[in-house]
Amino acid sequence: MKFLQVLAAIAVLGSMSVAASGGNRVAPTLSLPDRDGATISLQSLKGKVVLVDIWASWCIPCRAAFPAYDSLYRQYRDQGFEVLAINVDETRSAADRFLSGREFQMRVLFDPAGVAPTGFNVRAMPTSYLVDKQGAIRFSHEGFTDKALPQYRREVEQLIQEAR
Amino acid sequence: MTTTGRLMAVLAMLALGAASTACATVQPWQRGRLANRCMQFSPDPALTAFAGHWQESREGAAGGLGLQGGGCGCK
Repeated sequence: MKFLQVLAAIAVLGSMSVAASGGNRVAPTLSLPDRDGATISLQSLKGKVVLVDIWASWCIPCRAAFPAYDSLYRQYRDQGFEVLAINVDETRSAADRFLSGREFQMRVLFDPAGVAPTGFNVRAMPTSYLVDKQGAIRFSHEGFTDKALPQYRREVEQLIQEAR
Repeated sequence: MTTTGRLMAVLAMLALGAASTACATVQPWQRGRLANRCMQFSPDPALTAFAGHWQESREGAAGGLGLQGGGCGCK
């Protein structure tokens, strides 16, 4: 009986540790060039809520997510919200073909070597992360659908309202 | 050959076999080439989807028709 109780305690403790590791992971150190060649680092945006989007021009859901994240940026940028749309195309020309003629205001960074997805341990494309004001990853989304936008807004608003 | 020698030979063969494989993990963000249209089994995804539909309804069969996707593991 005692053996079973010990086993149950180990199982409970084990499940608690898994749940804890799922949230509040510190975002990896990132420093990537934007369209103009200026280097932007994720750490320099501490104090702001940041949505990091890992996307590629060949990924169909990423293309759908791109304008949606830009609209989120336009809606919340005055409240300390930033979007880093990190392109992971192997060639810059593929990314430029997608971006040309598109109106967007969020920051687009280029990462052909895949430093960001490696650091974030991306498992699917697209994946986006909401990083809080302290630099911790609070929410992540694999894939994209328009139906998830209200959830994005709730999460962004929650993080914006949190104290710095 | 002694038993130990034979065991060592088998282990060496297994190690050689494992080392000579050409498998590599393609990460989700490295699938640009796989997502290319020319890498799809079917040149016409709409026609393949239609063929899949009637095949499913007439023969009760599903899958194996290579529908187009983003190659990103999410579609």
